[in-house]
Amino acid sequence: MSDKELFSFVPAKGDESEIISAPLYSYWKSVGRKFISSKLAIAMLVLLIALLLMSFIQPIFSGYTVINSGKIDDFSLRYNYPNFRDWFGTDATGQSLFDAVWAGAKTSISIAMLATLISTFIGVIVGAVWGLSKSIDKFMIEVYNVVNNVPQVLVLLVLSYAFGSGFWNLLFAMCVTSWVSIAYQIRVQVIMYRDREYNIASRTLGTKPATMIGKNILPYLISVIVTIISNQMPVFISLEVFLGFLGVGLPSDTPSLGRIIADYTDNITNHAYLFWIPVLILGLVTVSLYIVGQTLADASDPRTHQ
Amino acid sequence: MSNKKVILSAKDISVEFQVRNRTLRAIRNISVDLHEGETLALVGESGSGKSVFTKVFTGMLETNGSVSTGTVTYGDMNLTNLKTNAEWEKIRGGQISTVFQDPMTSLNPIKTIGSQISETIIKHQGRSSEEAKAIAIDLMNRVGIPEAEKRYDEYPFQYSGGMRQRIVIAIALSSRPKVLICDEPTTALDVTIQAQIIALLKELKEEYGFAMIFITHDLGVVASIADKVAVMYSGEIVEYGTVEDIFYDSRHPYTWALLSSLPQLATTEKLYSIAGTPPSLYSEIKGDAFAPRNPKPMAIDFVEIPPKFPVSDTHWAKTWLLDERAPELTKPEGIQDLHDKMVKIYAKEGGA
Amino acid sequence: MAEKLLEIKDLSISFGEGKNKNIAVKNANFDIYKGETFALVGESGSGKTTIGRAIMGLNNIENGDIIFDGKKINTKLSGSEKEELTKDIQMIFQDPAASLNERATVDYVISEGLYNYHMYKDEADRKAKVEAMLKEVGLLPEHLSRYPHEFSGGQRQRIGIARALVMEPRLVIADEPISALDVSIRAQVLNLLQRLQEEKGLTYLFVAHDLSVVHFISDRIAVIYHGDIVEMAETEELFNNPIHPYTKSLLSAVPIPDPALERQKQLIVYDDSIHDYETDKPSFQEIKPGHFVWANTAEAENYKAQA
Repeated sequence: MSDKELFSFVPAKGDESEIISAPLYSYWKSVGRKFISSKLAIAMLVLLIALLLMSFIQPIFSGYTVINSGKIDDFSLRYNYPNFRDWFGTDATGQSLFDAVWAGAKTSISIAMLATLISTFIGVIVGAVWGLSKSIDKFMIEVYNVVNNVPQVLVLLVLSYAFGSGFWNLLFAMCVTSWVSIAYQIRVQVIMYRDREYNIASRTLGTKPATMIGKNILPYLISVIVTIISNQMPVFISLEVFLGFLGVGLPSDTPSLGRIIADYTDNITNHAYLFWIPVLILGLVTVSLYIVGQTLADASDPRTHQ
Repeated sequence: MSNKKVILSAKDISVEFQVRNRTLRAIRNISVDLHEGETLALVGESGSGKSVFTKVFTGMLETNGSVSTGTVTYGDMNLTNLKTNAEWEKIRGGQISTVFQDPMTSLNPIKTIGSQISETIIKHQGRSSEEAKAIAIDLMNRVGIPEAEKRYDEYPFQYSGGMRQRIVIAIALSSRPKVLICDEPTTALDVTIQAQIIALLKELKEEYGFAMIFITHDLGVVASIADKVAVMYSGEIVEYGTVEDIFYDSRHPYTWALLSSLPQLATTEKLYSIAGTPPSLYSEIKGDAFAPRNPKPMAIDFVEIPPKFPVSDTHWAKTWLLDERAPELTKPEGIQDLHDKMVKIYAKEGGA
Repeated sequence: MAEKLLEIKDLSISFGEGKNKNIAVKNANFDIYKGETFALVGESGSGKTTIGRAIMGLNNIENGDIIFDGKKINTKLSGSEKEELTKDIQMIFQDPAASLNERATVDYVISEGLYNYHMYKDEADRKAKVEAMLKEVGLLPEHLSRYPHEFSGGQRQRIGIARALVMEPRLVIADEPISALDVSIRAQVLNLLQRLQEEKGLTYLFVAHDLSVVHFISDRIAVIYHGDIVEMAETEELFNNPIHPYTKSLLSAVPIPDPALERQKQLIVYDDSIHDYETDKPSFQEIKPGHFVWANTAEAENYKAQA
């Protein structure tokens, strides 16, 4: 263009500056991107998936049962160290520890997962209503102060004795003793957000409490909820193991990591593989769950998105 | 004033940020000098980069930001070479202090006011704690805290916003810095408190003799406190001059727009406002950054960034309008004879 | 004679009990007429925001009445009455960063009220209403699928205005709507509010802490100090003849955007101990027609003599 053209006036472009040039923001895509950026989390996720697959698929093929009188008389099969036929060796009944561990893991993980999902679901709903309503808060705080001070393990023991052992009984007992503290954590968060200006704005627009919880508060709590889940699952697994250790919780014909570890505590040094391999598997499940959960929780916090 | 020594100097400073694998230029080639005892007002909207620019002087850029070109000199020390926190600690707080906008978050809520002032004195001047306390109380008196002795042991929550900002100023001045950077120090305060804080800063400047960089987006405050004014837009200084140059002889369309939108100039029917939204700090700019919002742009504004055009010894502007090839364009009618207009407005108003 | 849309009678509001009782608003009395912009100006702690929120039903009041369009609204209301009221009185909030739901799209943010009361025939109708409102505030349809944090402060405030106005209210309480914005963007939003008022016949209660900001948009101004309304008059009259010393100090505090004038200026500082209300109690007195001042008998005589 010539100088004359360049230095002549052109129409103003007011509206153009309103255009946002950055690409559309998508919450879940940003969460995914943040998660994937952590190599550790990806590695742990792969490990976790592998462990889960083994726990749920291997027992189908092995047909393992705890009380298997099939080869019980063949003493040569007992207490074998890990070898090419039995990767984890054999246990006191001559069965492959490999089969036992995965069958046990399946039970332990299932109960922990179900307990986590159920207690978190109840805890979030109760906690949200609790936090939003000032009158319910006054009441629930008293309930919480009482209930929270009773040691969880004691209650579990009592319920175990009262209702007997069994998968669903244990599940019930675990949920009943955990939802309160989850509800409390959620309540604390809800109170933080409840009086923020955008919530006041929603009230002036006539928004009902249920919608407030669903649209205004819960979306901000995703990070917190994921943290809770990632903390609770390892807690439940450990709890089941601990109860198995005490000889309560699951019945003796249900395979579980807790039972195995309990059975072989005498073997910490002698035939050590019998104790340490189940412990190792337990540790791997717990740690990988925790790391994946924590990374997901951080990634869900929009403040970490750029 | 123009013979005073230069105490702080920025030459061709550009600042870049790493955001998601992209490099974005937040500050684009700024050169400006601050003279001894002078108050330089940095005027601009959000996103103009004024805070980022002043952080360059105290080494407080965020971790993903860096000075990509240019040098900053303080006296005869080259600040761009400072890398470690330890090196910056000698300058920051001691030679160059900053007063931030929010007095609520600038103070530590769990320490007494007195201890926070004394701490700085002990650190930068190496005094004993009794000496520091005496100096601190003296400072508190100086910045207008009533019953300073008693209030020395109180906590920030027992102070009002204006009082807290006075303490922040006291802390900033405790080590007698040569340069005080004030980043919108009165924006969060009530109007009457703002007036008092500005009066206080002017007095302290007379007494202590420091140079000041004052960031604001309020032209009234600029008129009150500035000797020189730099108008920033989208990471550049688009006009620079004495406060009289900027108010009575402005040359850049953005400065015209800012002056035109002063509420005092509104008639009963119309208040001038600038169309559109300022570009975000991270947008790509082609040509003159203000062009999309300029009510009378030229074709070249969308093509090439204008260079600095001098208007006088003290005054320059980055606009193609000052190029000799450009057609005549006088500033908008609304801001011509600004002084006379203001005199009329304020003569009518009682109490001014 | 213009109709009154809102009447505030002997309103007092306090927070806390016993020793901790904080009286935010003492005895407010004012009326707002249909179609006007009434400004309530005061500094932090003056009670101005509290009054605005009480009208919206967000605060409890201790004493007094709030009357909207002839009906008392500070009592128990039926569900449908509440619904009408929500549609009739809307609020624009101060902080563009905090007043929008960051996790909802702009489309949802603006439509929230419409969804609550199903104020549309069908989806197409709702979309049309939202897009029309968006255009009115100077934003683009493509912005609907974006999230609040992607916008600048001025744009966010315009989204807040769209959200309030899509309800087609009669009274809009603007609670410091431009305080958090850059000075050059303030003019843009003020112009927008002015234009919308003319187009839709709105009535505004404009709460602010800076007199210069309300000069352009208000018809009448009330100045509030520590829970008391100390002066009330038409805009030009207040600016040209301020009577109460607090109003004078408020006017004096605004920096003059002219270096020569500003540097010569003498700052007027207000000290409330100059009043002696021990025996001679103050009340709201009409010093000149339409110009009211909070004063006791002695002061009122003084003011009238000087007027």
